[in-house]
Amino acid sequence: MTSITTFYLSRIVGIKAYDSNGKYIGIVKDLLVESESSNLTSGHPAVTGIKIKRSNQVAFYSFQQFQVEKLNGNIKVIASELSDLPQENINNDLSLIESVLDKQIVDLNGRKLVRVNDVRLVTLTNGTYAVAVDIGMEGLLRRIGIAKPLKFGLSVFGSNVPGKFINWEDFEAIDFSSQNIKLSKTYKKLQTLHPSDLADIIEELGKKASAEIFSSFDAEKAADVMEELEPETQVQILESLSIEKAADVLDKMPADEVADIFEGLEEEKIQLLLNEMEEETSQDVRELLVYPDHTVGSIMSSEYMSFNLNMTIEEVLAELRRTKPEFETLYNLFVTDENEVLLATFSIRDVVITPPDTPVSQIMKPSPVHLRDYQKINEVAEIVSKYNLLAIPVVDTKNVLKGMVVIDDVIEDLIRKRRTNK
Amino acid sequence: MFKNKKTFFTQLALFFAILGPGIITGSVDNDAGGITTYSVAGAIYGYSLIWTLIPSFIVLVVVQEMNARMGIVTGKGLADLIRENAGVKITFFIFVGLLIADIGNTTTEFAGVAGSMEVFGMSKYISVPIVAFMVWFLVVKGDYKIAERIFLIFSVSLLMYVVSAIMGKPHWSEIGSSIVHPKMPMDTQGLTIVIGIIGTTIAPWMQFYMQSSVIEKGLKMKHYKYLLIDIIIGCLATVVVAFFIIVACASTLHENKVVIEEAKDAALALKPLAGAIASQVFAFGLFIASIFSATILPLATAFYVCEAFGFEAGIDKKWNEAKEFYFLYTGIIIIGAAIILLPNAPLILISLWSQVLNGMLLPVVLICMILLVNNKKIMGEYVNNPINNIIGWTAAIILTALSVGLIVLPLFSK
Repeated sequence: MTSITTFYLSRIVGIKAYDSNGKYIGIVKDLLVESESSNLTSGHPAVTGIKIKRSNQVAFYSFQQFQVEKLNGNIKVIASELSDLPQENINNDLSLIESVLDKQIVDLNGRKLVRVNDVRLVTLTNGTYAVAVDIGMEGLLRRIGIAKPLKFGLSVFGSNVPGKFINWEDFEAIDFSSQNIKLSKTYKKLQTLHPSDLADIIEELGKKASAEIFSSFDAEKAADVMEELEPETQVQILESLSIEKAADVLDKMPADEVADIFEGLEEEKIQLLLNEMEEETSQDVRELLVYPDHTVGSIMSSEYMSFNLNMTIEEVLAELRRTKPEFETLYNLFVTDENEVLLATFSIRDVVITPPDTPVSQIMKPSPVHLRDYQKINEVAEIVSKYNLLAIPVVDTKNVLKGMVVIDDVIEDLIRKRRTNK
Repeated sequence: MFKNKKTFFTQLALFFAILGPGIITGSVDNDAGGITTYSVAGAIYGYSLIWTLIPSFIVLVVVQEMNARMGIVTGKGLADLIRENAGVKITFFIFVGLLIADIGNTTTEFAGVAGSMEVFGMSKYISVPIVAFMVWFLVVKGDYKIAERIFLIFSVSLLMYVVSAIMGKPHWSEIGSSIVHPKMPMDTQGLTIVIGIIGTTIAPWMQFYMQSSVIEKGLKMKHYKYLLIDIIIGCLATVVVAFFIIVACASTLHENKVVIEEAKDAALALKPLAGAIASQVFAFGLFIASIFSATILPLATAFYVCEAFGFEAGIDKKWNEAKEFYFLYTGIIIIGAAIILLPNAPLILISLWSQVLNGMLLPVVLICMILLVNNKKIMGEYVNNPINNIIGWTAAIILTALSVGLIVLPLFSK
């Protein structure tokens, strides 16, 4: 028995399988491998089952009794005996033909979608494993059946067809539309990607796969990814989720982002979501929804920190430690009176370099640059750039502090305008 | 009353927001190749092939509706679906065929640019390189979305063919009788033109384009009604323009026994028969149609080929990220434009054969589509209804028969 045989999925699918006496069993249709959830010791899943078709009868057998042999370049599939594959394996294992070959997968290192042209397998003494997927030109040519002559032709000129493989550990299969694999088990590896990379990938996927991947994230991750998605995809994903799950995700997002997403939804759906969301977040969102499109109010963030002017730096720090605000919230800190009227601003830098017992009134900068909530957005970018600000306070006509506009939102708005040329 | 009005306007607003995929596809459909085929059909066969537009219209609507439905339900491109369900070999055959046909079609578009500008007295050695560079630059460096809107507005000028046709004083009774009593020419030239008309009206690459634009618009099942109206308007526009081109050429060129080979000839020949304005209108329409399709066609082709074979694609990607895509896109434009600039290039042959190749690819793409759209795993509850299937299969069978006929007929006639 040879110790190591490597072969490609495309070479054994469609060929005849025989038993050890040379009797015909049927045609190889598919291979099943351990799915991601199983404890993979080597990172490479073992082949568990084989699908064989004989005169319109399809059967799954355990792969343990099968042997793949290479003789003078010809591949043979031989079974020592036939034992049925347990139903559990048929249900849970990953079908190479249905979920991997010709399907899109996520290349975790390249952080993008690629299409699988072939699967590389290896037979060792203790079993057969799926090692890598072929996403290169060579795999494509092999499938069409012209890889060998073309490679020979090119080798005459000292050239070669470039092969391109992704190791089994470095990708995630995502298309389970034709299999009954349970979702909780899958997509674990995707969690390691950055939310904006995940958003890019989800945008490029078909409806079913993108909804399935999204619902596999926990609410925190889902919220991060949701923020990065394009408006159309945000709406599409939200509509694919249950109201409860959607509300959970929206609760974890900044109120201004939620208000933006709601612009693309129907009134009825918005009310359902607002009722399901936590009281505090839905209240903030409701306030923002009042503002028409392209007013400052529609892009401002309602998360900000305001302090009384008699507080000391010590007390400010204690408050910050208690509330643990997001990084963006610290771009600018505000001083307000008992009616929430904006008096002054101060920066986190001032807080850091000032002795703890100093009152806020000593470091604050009175009569700060500010915006009105019904002001037009297109005036904001100029102000941001003129005064070199990271965040500008927004007040209403009575100078009551309503929120702040953060530089990221301004840039996002500019980019969107450039893209759609409104 | 007021309430009704309000819902009418909200519906109208919704329609305009969705408007696009069908109408743009319909406009691109009447490209230089199409105008040429219709002109030649009108000049040689008079009114007698007008009836082909009716089955073409029905099939066009049915096919595009299937594309739209697949796009809405799956959110996946047609190339993606074919690759995932039909395997590499069929995908390879379709896309190599499409690539060749589309290079031929792009050449035809540039021939249209060259021909129409020659009517206005500009040499092709000036017009073609300028237009080719403009088109390339627009997509790679400019804003494609804006360009698409401008083209769409301009393509209203295609309706000018109505003017050209009426100026030729057509015989409406003959037109009517040709539609009521369709006749099939049973010779190679006739068959070629019939396949050409169908192949250019229902061009295969259009199905891919249609599906992608539905996805890009992010349309949902609740928009389906409006999308269907959009498709019907687009298809009607295609067929109406085609009808008037055939009529214009039939009532002037055919009756005066003028033989033409290119759309440009038609424009020139119209001058003494229907006046200078009719001729210029014809040429201007040809110019707009050519440049519109010369922009979309190479772009679309590069996109589907990359989609099917898993290369990165899209105009929002950088050169380094999507090398294959930009290589293909640039290549198609350069080859298309270069062929036109070759002295004595067999333009008519290229144009004719790319239409015929389209006509032969169409049944293959159509069969793939019908199989996909009937697949419950892919479409869920939105699989085809029996009427869709009957029309789809009939079209596939007839087109296959016509294609086979085209290959077999010359063997018997000699």
